[in-house]
Formats: sequence, structure tokens, C-alpha cells
Amino acid sequence: MAEMQKQLQSLTEDYQKLQLELQSTVEARQKLESQLQENKGVQTEFSNLSDDANIYKLVGPVLLKQDKTEAVSAVEGRLSFIEKEIARIEKNLNEAQGKIEEKKIAIIRIQTLYQQQAQQAQAASS
Amino acid sequence: MAASPAGKEQSVDLGSLSLQQLTAVKKQLDDELEHLTNSFAKLRAAQAKFGDCIRSIKAGISSSTPGKMILVPLTSSLYVPGTLSHPNKAIVDVGTGFYVEKDSDDAEAFYKAKVDELGKNLKDLEGIVQSKSSNLRVIEDILRQKVISGSATTNPASHA
Repeated sequence: MAEMQKQLQSLTEDYQKLQLELQSTVEARQKLESQLQENKGVQTEFSNLSDDANIYKLVGPVLLKQDKTEAVSAVEGRLSFIEKEIARIEKNLNEAQGKIEEKKIAIIRIQTLYQQQAQQAQAASS
Repeated sequence: MAASPAGKEQSVDLGSLSLQQLTAVKKQLDDELEHLTNSFAKLRAAQAKFGDCIRSIKAGISSSTPGKMILVPLTSSLYVPGTLSHPNKAIVDVGTGFYVEKDSDDAEAFYKAKVDELGKNLKDLEGIVQSKSSNLRVIEDILRQKVISGSATTNPASHA
């Protein structure tokens, strides 16, 4: 019985750790999503501009003038990077969820086993 | 993320859930609702900020003549005098560190589009918040009934 309790405790600790991990991954995913949206907004804004529009980029405290083609390709590069990152994080998310599900099943199994043994012990004593 | 539990609720008879499960569902809904209301407030604030930009353009730029004296803030408490040389131009932050020079009409249209877009999002969000609150009310009703009927069945037992 004590052995099982110990096992159960370590399993729950693992479970909690996994859940924390999942939460941080979800947060990273949300951050990427907002960056994706912002960059998409910039991209549509650029597509509505004439080619000789003055575009500036904020570098530290100063605005530097930039070519439209340069700016457009910079945003495109960022978008493809963010999309790749999102795909990677999605994979992590799925893995983390699978691991959590496994732990959950393991915990439930131990719990039912524990209860059965407790009942048996009770039946034997009475 | 929010859609899957909501879909599950519709297929589960809420009355069949235990007190514990109901409290868990209620807590989840509470959390979701809090998150959504926070987002709503943030959207509102952003919309107000863009509205301020429109007002600034209208009052400060498009109606001014070249050479108009202005005070330029260097910090929140330090200003230097300057003159407005291009009253028809504004540099607009389009996001991710990019700024675009626009004339005042275009800048105004840009902010107007932002405000409208946010307004649409706000309306969508409002609908979601309302449906979530009604879900929450239903859960609370059932929870209350359960507690009342639960105490009704345990009380006679304790008397007997």
C-alpha cells in the first residue's frame, strides 16, 4: 500500500509538471499568433501602398528610411519564420497533450487498484 | 480551446453531473469569462487609442497651415518649440516597428479602418461573452438546485 501511495504521488507530481509545461507552450503559441496577426496586418498595409511610399523602420530610438521592396521582403521573411515556429509549437503541443493523457491513464489505473486493495483489506479485516 | 468544452456541454445532461463536476465546470466557465472580459476591455482601450489618433489628426494636422508653432514633447514634462513644416503629412505606426508616411486623409482612413475592425471584433466578443454568461447562469441554477435538494435529502436523514 505504501509503495502504491508513493507511486501515485510521483505520478501526480509528473502530471503537474507536464501541465505546467503545456501551459507555457500554450502561452508561446498565443504570443506567436499575435505576432502573426500583427505581421499580416503590416503586409496588407504594405500591399495597399504605392511603390514610392516612404517607409521607415524603427531601430532603437530612430526611424530609418527603408525601401518598400526591402520592407516587404522583411515582413515576408518574418511571416514564414513565424509560421514555421507555429508548426513546431503545434507539434510540441500535441506531444505534451499525448504525454498528459498517458499520465492521466496511469494515475487512474493506480487509483482504482489502490481502491480495490483498500476494499479487500477492509473486507479481510471485517 | 474554448470551443471544445462548450460543444461537450451541449451533449451532456447537466443535471446528471455531480456537485463536484458542476463546480469544476463553473470554475472553468468563470475563468473563461474573466479572460474574455479582460480581452474585451483591452480591445476597448485599443479602439479608444485609435480614436484619439483620428482626433489628433483632425485637430492638429489637417486644419493647420505650414509654419504653425507647436510644442514638441521631448519627455512627458519637457517641451521644445517647433514649427509644423508639412501639415499634410503624418507618419503612421503600422506595427512591428514599421512606420509609413501618409497624408492626413490616408492616415485618418487608416485609423478609421482600425477602429471599425476593432468594433467588429468587439461585437463578436460581446456575443461570445453573453452566451458564456448565460451558460454560467444555467450552471449556477443547477448547482443551486442540487445544493437545495441535497440538503433536503440529508436533513431528514440526520433527524432520523
